[in-house]
Amino acid sequence: MGLLSLLRKFRKQPSRELRILILGLDNAGKTTVLRVLASEQDEIKNTTPTQGFNVKSVHSQGFKLNIWDIGGQRTIRPYWKHYFEGTDVLIFVVDSADMMRMDETGEELSELLQEHKLAGVPLLVFANKQDLDLAMPPDEPAGYASPDLQHNLLIFPQIAEKFQLTSLTDRRWQIQPCSALRGEGIQEGMDWMAKNVSTSKW
Amino acid sequence: MHPQERFSGRVKKTCLYQVLNMKVSRWALAICFGNLGQNLCLIDCDTMFVHTARVPKKILKCKAVSREINFTSSEMLNELRLEQRVQFKGKSVEEWNFRFGFVIPGSTNTWQSVIEAEDESQMMPAEILTGNLTIETKFLDGDLLVSTSVVRIYYV
Repeated sequence: MGLLSLLRKFRKQPSRELRILILGLDNAGKTTVLRVLASEQDEIKNTTPTQGFNVKSVHSQGFKLNIWDIGGQRTIRPYWKHYFEGTDVLIFVVDSADMMRMDETGEELSELLQEHKLAGVPLLVFANKQDLDLAMPPDEPAGYASPDLQHNLLIFPQIAEKFQLTSLTDRRWQIQPCSALRGEGIQEGMDWMAKNVSTSKW
Repeated sequence: MHPQERFSGRVKKTCLYQVLNMKVSRWALAICFGNLGQNLCLIDCDTMFVHTARVPKKILKCKAVSREINFTSSEMLNELRLEQRVQFKGKSVEEWNFRFGFVIPGSTNTWQSVIEAEDESQMMPAEILTGNLTIETKFLDGDLLVSTSVVRIYYV
């Protein structure tokens, strides 16, 4: 995708500066999402657990876009709050294959949604790692593997319900299936963001 | 805190660096590390090193340049910011700032900045710039200076 082309997407916004915050549990794929946004696919394999933040910042024709990816390990999560201020869009990345930690994921997300500094901020949930589901379809006949991400749609009502998104009335939200590893679904998430970001703080 | 700078060019992974803002974008910056190795500035809190960097001239023609800084911090910082000043013969021609804010204790952090040049005009020729251009980078926590480095640019 590339940072400059991403920036162009947001140029219609009234604001000259945009801040995107990426959060989620450790190993959800936040840094990989960030790398896909920056067209750094060839570096994805070198991704290591983030022990702080990764920031990508793009500047062109008076517009600025800053994307913040903060580490998701349990010991780091208490520091997330320092990065809320001024956020225009929250991206929450979920490892859709990590069923064991779905409750923990839901708890973290619901705490974020109660944060005053994130009130009204549009929420994009990336239901990541859809490629893993494809690799091991749970109840599909052996040998079945659809290349179409939609085949995993079943999981999304579950996610929406689990995270109680359907009852959200104070912000726009979207669940976007993706495989950051394959670069699939990310573009669609950005399209949604470009359409919905203007409803936030300005 | 030990920042390491790595410069990478727009057309990824080829050449490197640069800062600047719009108008003067391609003036300056530009540090290419081809033969200098990857990590340029290692900065000590109390010392100021002056480094030199050899940069391929063609970076002055790049439409967009990217630059990356990685740093670790054992301490918690509340208000980290970066101030960068490009000077031509000692006179400031460009300033650039970025606010990081909070830094997690014991953290390793990265910052990549991509800047697209506004127009093609206005670039002084490499022959005039070379050796006369310095880039000063300061890290501050609030008003407290954390580190400084100066890089003198030679276009080759």
